[in-house]
Amino acid sequence: MSINSSRREFLSAGLMLPVAGAASKFDFLNPDKPVAKSAKTPKLEYRTLGKTGLKVTALGFGCMITSDPSVITRAADLGINYFDTARGYQNGNNERMVAAALGAKRKDLILSTKSIANNKEGLLKHLDTSLSELKTDYVDIWYLHAKDIPSAIHEDMIEAQQIAKQQGKIRFAGMSTHALAKMAEWTVDKKAFDVVLTVYNFTMDAKTEESIAAVAKTGTGVVAMKIMAGGSRARRPGEQVDPRMQREGAMLSALKWVLNKPHIGTTIPSMTDMDQLDENLLAMAEKFSPNDEKALAAHLDQIAPYYCRFCGECDGACQKGLQVADTLRILTYADGYGQFALARERFNELPGHHATARCGDCTECTVKCPHGVRVAERISRAQELFA
Amino acid sequence: MKMLLACAVLLAANTAHAQAYLDCHFVPGYEQSGPKRQYTPDNLFDYRDGAAEGYLIYSFTLLQGIDCKSGSTILSIDISDMSDADSAYGMFSANRDPRQPIARIGMGAQLMPQSLLFAKGRYFVEIVETDGSTDSNQTAALQAFAAKIEPLLEGRSTPPEELAWFPPANQESVKLVPESVLGLKILKRGYVARYATGQAFIVIEQSPISAAEVMNKLRARFEDSTPVKLADEAFELKAPYLDGLCIFRKGRTIAGFTNLADPQSATGQAAKLLERIP
Repeated sequence: MSINSSRREFLSAGLMLPVAGAASKFDFLNPDKPVAKSAKTPKLEYRTLGKTGLKVTALGFGCMITSDPSVITRAADLGINYFDTARGYQNGNNERMVAAALGAKRKDLILSTKSIANNKEGLLKHLDTSLSELKTDYVDIWYLHAKDIPSAIHEDMIEAQQIAKQQGKIRFAGMSTHALAKMAEWTVDKKAFDVVLTVYNFTMDAKTEESIAAVAKTGTGVVAMKIMAGGSRARRPGEQVDPRMQREGAMLSALKWVLNKPHIGTTIPSMTDMDQLDENLLAMAEKFSPNDEKALAAHLDQIAPYYCRFCGECDGACQKGLQVADTLRILTYADGYGQFALARERFNELPGHHATARCGDCTECTVKCPHGVRVAERISRAQELFA
Repeated sequence: MKMLLACAVLLAANTAHAQAYLDCHFVPGYEQSGPKRQYTPDNLFDYRDGAAEGYLIYSFTLLQGIDCKSGSTILSIDISDMSDADSAYGMFSANRDPRQPIARIGMGAQLMPQSLLFAKGRYFVEIVETDGSTDSNQTAALQAFAAKIEPLLEGRSTPPEELAWFPPANQESVKLVPESVLGLKILKRGYVARYATGQAFIVIEQSPISAAEVMNKLRARFEDSTPVKLADEAFELKAPYLDGLCIFRKGRTIAGFTNLADPQSATGQAAKLLERIP
């Protein structure tokens, strides 16, 4: 199967599936003021978040980089009912801003936060601080933040979530991860979480999809984050964002792709302005279309030769024993971010044959990147630069 | 080829220089715990998880860090290169607790019992006790490390000059908004000061012409606005979420006051802001 046809089938999968069904610190925000919904208010799609039974809008709101609280206030006025923050975002400023933006509306909304603490005492201390900053007696979902390997979660951390539940400080226990493929089996066996928050977007492979399905099958609610695949803004100074992703509607396509997948309870895209909010609201009313598929395929075409997704498929595949993913990541330091010295330092830490092995000596490259990265070409470039 | 070699030598020198300010022996009794760390925009998520996005929007390019241990206390020192001094100050302003005072280290600092943040030149520095569950007071060690690190960091020690343009009376906080000032995509990047009542903003465009174009777009968005005589051009209105507001342009600077009870009050405050803009 060619890379193109695999990708197309991957993208098309979304097409084949049915659409699933405290007082503000900033007085000027006046968040408690009722706002009449205009005739232009898009249709809201509600979904049930696994066994929690929570009825969430398919579009939630990731508040992390929102600077102006009015965007969050307006989202709540328009009917979005799930808002996500974390203890660690901007050293707690984000939780305070969310509290100010939601005001008394909070009681009608579903609110989640997270803690990065790695023991019971730290977690419970963070939770009390979060509740104070969010000006609420409870959060609906409380995530153990950024757990990418099972050993990062200790029994006393799960105990902390149970204690918090018993105390009525949280309604549901969650876990957030950037590596669900590594966490899924353990999560299913552990049965400790009501909700899982995971990275999920159109650049990801079928393994992630299988992991989501396995977790969802147990009744665990699934919330998707990073759904725009970093495509909406430059990731480094001076970087040109792919114009096809900047084009009106392109990011909406990425959001619709996720919403058209099964098992996804809700999504939490970051939104910094009213225009993004208006555009993303459309995702609940529009189906993923062939035009959406074209927009996303075009983006994948552009990034495929260079963009390593660290899926691990190339582990051990090089007949000369080169660590392919590590070499590609190091090359990105130099090519992508201008950190030549850092890249060379890291390259020189690899085993010596990374400098001497020549891709040209092989008649055929045994590394077949499922995502279309031109591996031999990239390895050769790394050697030219650093060896 | 010579040029490439020169660039490589220069970059290598920068990295070596960067490593110089990561030394646990700066403070007696502290030893390095574990290896030094480095993260770029590509893998910062591995270290900061979702909070990484908060760095990326402030032009983050490289984080270098070290853990220093003394007895059971571990201080985590992370120094992030934010590309330029404005972005570094922006990162500081987004992460400081506006309820707490600013200390005089670099462009600005915030000292808490278990953490010290400061910005100097293009660098944003975080020194944090890693075990947040204790109630210890590490201010002496935090200050001692900062006193050694700050002089080694090149660059500006004064905050962005635009901050001084905001009227100081009743000001609660000021920060750099890296995108969508006031939640409006048209206003790409600028400073926002929150007051006990209302907020003020300053956006600097490339030229008076591009600033005038932005004003045209704003008038199109706020179609019920009324022109007022202020600076080169200005308008006022009452708008959803922004309440009473007045926006004006002076040369390539777009600024104004929002979230006041009525447009006239906003125009009055905007006039005071205008007086402070050179």
